[in-house]
Amino acid sequence: MGYVHDPHMSQYIPPTAMFGATGTYTQAAGAVTGTIAFHRAAAASTGVINIPIILPSNSVALKGVKLTSIEVDYELLLAGATSITMSLNKVTRGADTAVAVVSAVTVTQSLVANSGAETNDQHKITVTLTTPEWIDNDVYYLLVMTAVCGATVTVDILGAVANYTLRV
Amino acid sequence: MGYTHDTAMSQFIPPSLFHRPTGTWTTPAGQVAGTIVEHVAAADQTGLVNIPILIPSNSVALKGAYLKSIEIDYEILVAACDAFTFVINKVTRGADGAVAVVSAPAFTQTPSAANALGVDQHKAILTITTPFWIANTEYVLVEVTVNQAATTQVDFLGAVANFTLRV
Repeated sequence: MGYVHDPHMSQYIPPTAMFGATGTYTQAAGAVTGTIAFHRAAAASTGVINIPIILPSNSVALKGVKLTSIEVDYELLLAGATSITMSLNKVTRGADTAVAVVSAVTVTQSLVANSGAETNDQHKITVTLTTPEWIDNDVYYLLVMTAVCGATVTVDILGAVANYTLRV
Repeated sequence: MGYTHDTAMSQFIPPSLFHRPTGTWTTPAGQVAGTIVEHVAAADQTGLVNIPILIPSNSVALKGAYLKSIEIDYEILVAACDAFTFVINKVTRGADGAVAVVSAPAFTQTPSAANALGVDQHKAILTITTPFWIANTEYVLVEVTVNQAATTQVDFLGAVANFTLRV
């Protein structure tokens, strides 16, 4: 039997899978008819949105999925934010009776947090892992979007796309 | 290196991923023990439910997932809906600074719209007239318009996307 090695794979992650903290979040229609969004109401505070990276994993080293980058489509409405910063957490699941362990993965973001990513506009930001990682079956990844907002800015997240190599 | 071309792939999409901004929704057990649903309470209202189609995409033409049909399992309880209709929206993501663009691929539907709104268990099948490969700049949403009568309740059990996988 042969095997598959495809470095061009992607996976859409819908806004309904996202997890918002600090702020009031609702499901709302997107600004473009036919789109959907995870909406953060205006509030002068720092919102934190966790985006679970829903991809296969594998118990064998160097097999399954190698995560290379994640793109996030979002809109800042009514006003710009102070900054939009992306970070990536790698969660190693705990054994029974043990806690999970979180480590930060080094990434770069295509838009500068406070000089491009924060403007009142539609945005597509790409978060690239400095060293792409094969996903083991005892870990998962959460992309953390930290939005430092002023009193009037609202945030709509339309979705995310994870880019990866598939090897099975 | 081998190559996979499988025309019989399917992906379950749980009701907990459905997007439903209108109405009062809860996540109770389904009518059949062991099932789960997104449930909208009785109210004379019209709401939109969007179902995100969670299948892979690919940046290379004619590779990845070739979307052919989508099935939606739901139950209408107590009283029939006034209308219950489907639209498939294909969203092409915008570049930074640009809006997304939405198109509506043609499809056929079973059961018919007239038979999709009665009190019963339903399995709607939306068959895309011209199936398409999903590029990494695109995703698909199924938009369901639920026009409830005053006492109508609706349970969504989930959806299944049927596709060809070529990797």
